[in-house]
Amino acid sequence: MTLDLHEDESRRAQKSADRWLIVGSILMGSLVLGPLGLPVFCRGIYLLRKAQTAGLSVRPMMVTLIGYVIIIDAAINSIGWGLDVFANHALITRTIFTAWGNLMDGGYFWHYNELWIGGAGAPGEKSWIIICIVVVFPMRIAAGIAFLQMKRWGHQWMIVTCWFGLITWLGYIINMTMYADVRYAGVAFPVLGWWLYNIFYITPFLAIPYLHTVNREIFSD
Amino acid sequence: MADRIPMSDQDRRRHRALIVFQIVVYGAMIAMFFIQLQMFFVKEW
Repeated sequence: MTLDLHEDESRRAQKSADRWLIVGSILMGSLVLGPLGLPVFCRGIYLLRKAQTAGLSVRPMMVTLIGYVIIIDAAINSIGWGLDVFANHALITRTIFTAWGNLMDGGYFWHYNELWIGGAGAPGEKSWIIICIVVVFPMRIAAGIAFLQMKRWGHQWMIVTCWFGLITWLGYIINMTMYADVRYAGVAFPVLGWWLYNIFYITPFLAIPYLHTVNREIFSD
Repeated sequence: MADRIPMSDQDRRRHRALIVFQIVVYGAMIAMFFIQLQMFFVKEW
């Protein structure tokens, strides 16, 4: 196989895998269509893996997984918290959010829609919601896209956004521990329910050691 | 995985500092979990 042919085939394989991965991510990022998106996403991963074992030069698996997970995480939370800020009086928000709050997080049940701004009424919660949907999540999605394109600034901003994610989660968890009586009193599954549900959102910053140790020359200008 | 590049002493020190820092911040997060767990047993939520 000539070098040109190898490059062409690699590009084609990458494109075809990315098509499945992007559609799967959009479905999963929409929150409600998540179960439909997962098999589509897995098909993309399978195609990428197949191309890798066939010896084609495609994007490393770890870069692919970290990039897409960061984008999906930011998209899911943007929709949920976007509804809490901008559509807190919609029937679906009043029903699902307060039911979920009643299940594991009283911050979405206690005095819901009773502050001047509406939505979650737990002390401090609104500040975290707004800083996340205005600053952190857009930054994460932009960084994730450039990271998947293997750009130098994508790698740098991925490091920035992962550290930001750590600050956000630590601040968020300390805040909710301070107001634990608001968040957990009278809910069906206090503490353990919340941690089980949220652990998947908390963990993306575990990518930090990889991002700091990966050979940065693979990310080009 | 990318090819391994030989590590300088400075890099090794940086990595060690990163590991120590991560243990501290993840430890803080786990400490919050244990504080909540202790409240969970005491407060009868």
